[in-house]
Amino acid sequence: MTGERGSHDRRTVLKGLGVGGAAALAGCITGGRDDTTDGGDVGMADGVTAWSWDVAAESLDLTDEPYEEANGGSVTVEQFGRADMKDKYKSQLLAGEGAPAIATMESVDAAAWVDTNGLRDISGWIDDAGIKDGFVAGKWGPLEKDGGTYALPWDIGPVGTFYRKDVLESNEIDLTTVETWDQFIEEGKKLPDDQYMINLPSNDYDGLWRMLYRMLGGQPFAEDGAVAFDNDESVAVARTLKRVRDAGIANDVASWSSAWFNAFKEGSIASLNGGAWMEGTLKAELGGTAGKWRVMKPPAFSKGGPRATNWGGSNLVIADQVSDAKAQRAFDYMQFTLASKEQQLKMYQEYGIFPAYEPAYQSEAFDEGHDFLGGQGAGRLFADIAPEIPPYRYTVDTPEVTKAINENFSSMMAGDVSPSEAVSQAAQDVADRTGRDIA
Amino acid sequence: MAGSDARTGTPPSTRRQALVDAFRYRRQALTERLPELPGVAYVFLLPFFVLFAVFLLFPILYTIYLSFFTFQGVGGTTVFAIDLGFFYFPVQTISNLEFVGLRNYERLLTDRQFHNAMYNTVFILLFQVPLMITIALGLAVALDASFVRLRGLWRTTLALPISANLVAYATVFVLLMQEQGLVNYALGLVGIGPIPWFTSEFWSRFTIVGAVTWRWTGYNMIILLAGLQNVPQQLYEAAEIDGANRLEKFRYVTLPQLRPVLLFVAVTSTIGTFKLFSEPLIVSDAGAPLSATRTIVQYIYETAFIDFRLGYASALTWVLIAIVSALSVFQIKALGGDDGA
Amino acid sequence: MREAQREFAWKVLTYAVLLVATLVTIVPLYWILVAMTLPESAFLSTATEPRLLPGGHFAENFAALQGRVDVAILGVERVLGFELGFLGAIGNSILIATVYTSLSILLCSMAGFAFAKYEFEFKEPIFYSILATLVLPIQLLVIPLFLLMSRLGMTNTYWAIILPWAANPLGIFLMRQNMKSIPDALLESARMDGATEFQVFYRVALPTMKSSLAALSIILFLFQWNLFLFPLVILGQDKYTIPVAISDLIGAQRVYYDQIMVAAGLSIVPIFLLFLFLQKYFVSGILAGSVKE
Repeated sequence: MTGERGSHDRRTVLKGLGVGGAAALAGCITGGRDDTTDGGDVGMADGVTAWSWDVAAESLDLTDEPYEEANGGSVTVEQFGRADMKDKYKSQLLAGEGAPAIATMESVDAAAWVDTNGLRDISGWIDDAGIKDGFVAGKWGPLEKDGGTYALPWDIGPVGTFYRKDVLESNEIDLTTVETWDQFIEEGKKLPDDQYMINLPSNDYDGLWRMLYRMLGGQPFAEDGAVAFDNDESVAVARTLKRVRDAGIANDVASWSSAWFNAFKEGSIASLNGGAWMEGTLKAELGGTAGKWRVMKPPAFSKGGPRATNWGGSNLVIADQVSDAKAQRAFDYMQFTLASKEQQLKMYQEYGIFPAYEPAYQSEAFDEGHDFLGGQGAGRLFADIAPEIPPYRYTVDTPEVTKAINENFSSMMAGDVSPSEAVSQAAQDVADRTGRDIA
Repeated sequence: MAGSDARTGTPPSTRRQALVDAFRYRRQALTERLPELPGVAYVFLLPFFVLFAVFLLFPILYTIYLSFFTFQGVGGTTVFAIDLGFFYFPVQTISNLEFVGLRNYERLLTDRQFHNAMYNTVFILLFQVPLMITIALGLAVALDASFVRLRGLWRTTLALPISANLVAYATVFVLLMQEQGLVNYALGLVGIGPIPWFTSEFWSRFTIVGAVTWRWTGYNMIILLAGLQNVPQQLYEAAEIDGANRLEKFRYVTLPQLRPVLLFVAVTSTIGTFKLFSEPLIVSDAGAPLSATRTIVQYIYETAFIDFRLGYASALTWVLIAIVSALSVFQIKALGGDDGA
Repeated sequence: MREAQREFAWKVLTYAVLLVATLVTIVPLYWILVAMTLPESAFLSTATEPRLLPGGHFAENFAALQGRVDVAILGVERVLGFELGFLGAIGNSILIATVYTSLSILLCSMAGFAFAKYEFEFKEPIFYSILATLVLPIQLLVIPLFLLMSRLGMTNTYWAIILPWAANPLGIFLMRQNMKSIPDALLESARMDGATEFQVFYRVALPTMKSSLAALSIILFLFQWNLFLFPLVILGQDKYTIPVAISDLIGAQRVYYDQIMVAAGLSIVPIFLLFLFLQKYFVSGILAGSVKE
C-alpha cells in the first residue's frame, strides 16, 4: 500500500514537469489561455471541484480525503441531480466559462460531449501514466476522437438479469436452468395474469434493444459513420421483444417511476435487466426485499450464444476551459481514484460501483456473497462478463437512434409493422435526420 | 332564464340592441382619445428599454446570428468587441461556426419531427386553451358573485396548483393517472376504463391537456377576477335599470368590459401552451410515445441541449417566434376590437 | 317566488361549481401533504393502496432532507450559527421573488400605463416586439445569457436572475390591458389640477388598480418562483432556489421521493401566506366611486 503511494508521488512530479513544458508551448500558439492565477507556471492548483450525482458523488467522496492525505490537493465534490448536473455543465461547457475542473460523463453522452470540443484531450497524460491497458478495452471507443482521448473511464454496467427468486419459486419457476430467451418466455407464461416476468415500457424500447443488440455484437454505426443497424441481429432483437410482448409476460410501467419500484417491491414484475449497479439501487430503494433477489446472466438468443452486454457506465472528464494548473490537479486526482485497485474496491464495496479498471477484479472482494442477493457471489459473475462485453460505437447521433427505435418499435408492438420493417424504418429515419448513409 | 325576454314583453332584438348601444356609448366615453405628450411615454418605457438592452438584446441577437450557422464546437474567436473603457465586452462566436445561410430554415421545411412537434403542440393548444379559459372565467364569475362567502379561501385554494413544485406535482400526478391509479379507479366505479393515460397515443395528449389545465386554471382565474373587479359597478346598475337579466348583464356588461383582460389571458395562454415543456416531459417519462406528445419547445431543447445543434435550434426558435407573434397580433386585432392596440 | 327559486338555484350551482373545482384542485396537493409524512417505502406503495391519512414520519423525512440539501442565504446561517438546509432555499426563493416583484411591479405598471394612456410613435411595433420576447424559450437563451452574466461579473448573484426579466413582458401586457379601463376623464381632471405626468400615473392611475396590481404581483412572484433552468445554470448550490434544490433530489440511481415531498409541501406555505396577504387588495368595484361622469 505504502509502496504504491510512493511511486504515485514520483509519477506526479514527472508528469507535472512534462505538462508544464507542453503548456508553455501551447501558450505560444494559442496566445495564452485564461490562466492568470498561476501565471502559466509549472504545478498543480491546490484545489479543484468535481461534479457528480447521487451514488456516484458519494463514492467520489470516499476517495477525496485519502487523496488529500496522499497527494496534498483538495477535491470538493458537489452533488447534483443527474439531469441538473448535465444541463448545468453543458451550458457552461458551451458558454466556455464557469465549468468545474472535473465532471461526470455517462458513456452514452460521450460522443456528443466530446464533439463540442469543450473537453480537454488527456491522451498525453494517460500515456505518460501508462494506465490505458488497465481499463476494460470496450470502454474507450466513445471517449476518443481524432487521436485524442477526452475522459478517463470510471465504471461499467455489465448486465445481469435480477429476479425475485421467492416470487418465481412460488410459481414453480426456476431460472437457474434458463439460458435462452425461448426458455425465459416459456417460464414466464407460468406466472398468473396479474404478474409479469419482465417490464417493457414503451419509452425504453431503445434501452432493451441496445442492450441485446450489443450482446449480439451489433453496432449502430459503421466505422465510416454510416447507419449500420438494419441487419439480422437487430431484427432478431426486435422480434424477441415483440414475442415477449405478445406472450403477455411483460408489463409496461415507466422505468424509474414510483410505480416501477413498487412493482418490484411487490413482485408483480419478477425480473429486471440491469447493470451491476442496479443492485445498489434496489438495495437502497427496496431494502425490505433483501435476500429475495438473485441475479443471472441475461438470456442468450440461442443455446451457447453470447450473454455479455453492458448498460450504463460513467467517466470523468476535464473541461478544456479550466487552467492548466487545475487540469493537472484534476487528472492527478482522477488517476488516483480511477486507476487504482484500492480506491475502486472501496467504491465497489460501499456503493456497488462496478469498476472499469480490471486489476480490481483480482480482489477477493468480488468473490464475497451479497446479502441482498441471498449470499450469491454476484461480483464474480459480473467480473466474468466484463471483459467479454463487445465494444459499442456511440456517436453524436446516438440520441437519434434512441428516438427512432422508440417510435418505430411502438408501431411494431401495436402490430402496424413487422419487426424487420420497424428496424429498416428506424435506420431510414436516422439516416434522413442526420444525413448519414445506410451501411 | 330563456323565458326572460317574454317576461318583459319587448321584442328581444330591439331591446338587446338598445342595451348594446347604451354600453358601447359608455365604453367609448371611457377611452376616447389619448393625449400625445412628446417624450412622456418613452420616459415611462425607459426602464424597460434599459434592462432589455443590457440583458436580453445580446442573447436575442446572438440566437438570430446563430440561426445562420452550424455549431462546430466550443472555442471561438472574437468577432468584434464593445469597448467602453471601463467595460470591455468581446462578442465571440463562443464556438466554431460554419456559415450555412438559410440552410437551417430550409431544413425546417422537410423535418418530419419538427412538423410532428408542431402538430402535437397545436393539437394540445386547441383543446387546452379554450377549456382552461372557459373554466377560469366560470370560476371567476362564480367567485365574483356577491353572495359567495369565504371568497378568499376559495380563491387561494384554487390558485395554489401553480405554486406546487413541478417535481412533486409530476410524481403525484403520475401516481394518480397510472393504469392502476386513483383516477382510473374512480372511473371504474362508474363503469369506465381503465384508460391508458400515458401509454396511448390518443390519451397521452389529453393527459397533458388535463395536467396543464389543472396547473394554470386558478392562475388565470385570479387575473380574470381582478379584471371583473375593475368593472365599474354603475354599469351593472344601469343594466339592471334597463331590465337586463343575469345572462344579459354577463353578455353586455361583463364580457365587453372584461375584453382587455380576456384578451390578455387568451394571448398569454396561447403563448404559454406554445412554450409547453415540463408537462410533455413528465408524460413521456411516464411512458407516453414521443411522437404523440413531443412539443415544439421540447424539440428545441433536445436539438440544443442533447444534439448540440445550436444553429438549427435557433432557427426553430425564430420560426416559432414568428408564428406565435403573428398569431398574437391576430388575436389582439380580432378580439381587441375598436380600441385594439 | 319563481325569482327566489331561480336565485336559490343559481346559488346552489355557483357553490357546486366552486366545490367541484376545489376538490379537483386539492386532491393532488393533499397527496403531497400526506406523502410528506410517510416513509419512502410507504409512499411508493400508495400506488396500490392509497393512504388518505398522514403518517408519523415527517420528522425523519425532514431530517433526511436537511441532511442532503444545504443552501445558504445572505450569511443568515452564519449569524444563526447553524445550517439552514432546505429552509435556505425557501429563504432564497422568497427573497429573490420579493425583490423581483417589488421592482418589476413598478416597471411593468409604468410601461403598461404608457401603452394604455398615451399616443406615441412606434407604439404598435414596440408593443408587439415586447410581446414577441414573451415567446422566447429560455432553453435557448440560457447559454448566451450565462455568458453575458459572466462578463458582467454577475454569475452566482441574485441580481442575475432578478434583472433580466425585471421589465416583464407579461406584466407590461397585463397592465396595458387593465389600465385601459381607467377613465380618461379622471386623468384629464388631474392634469387640469396641475399634476405632473408621473403624479397622474402614481397618484391617480395606480390607486384605482389595486386588484390588478394584486394580480400582477401574483403573476410576477410566481414567474420568479417557478424559474428553473436559468437559476440552475447561473446560481451555485449555496444560493439555490426551491425548484432547483428539489430537482437536485432526482439522481441517476436514486430518487429521494420522501425528501421531495417534504420539500414541496413546505414550499407551498409561503405562497399560501402571500395569497392571504394580498387578500385585502381583491376588493370589488374600486373604480366605482372614482368615476365622475
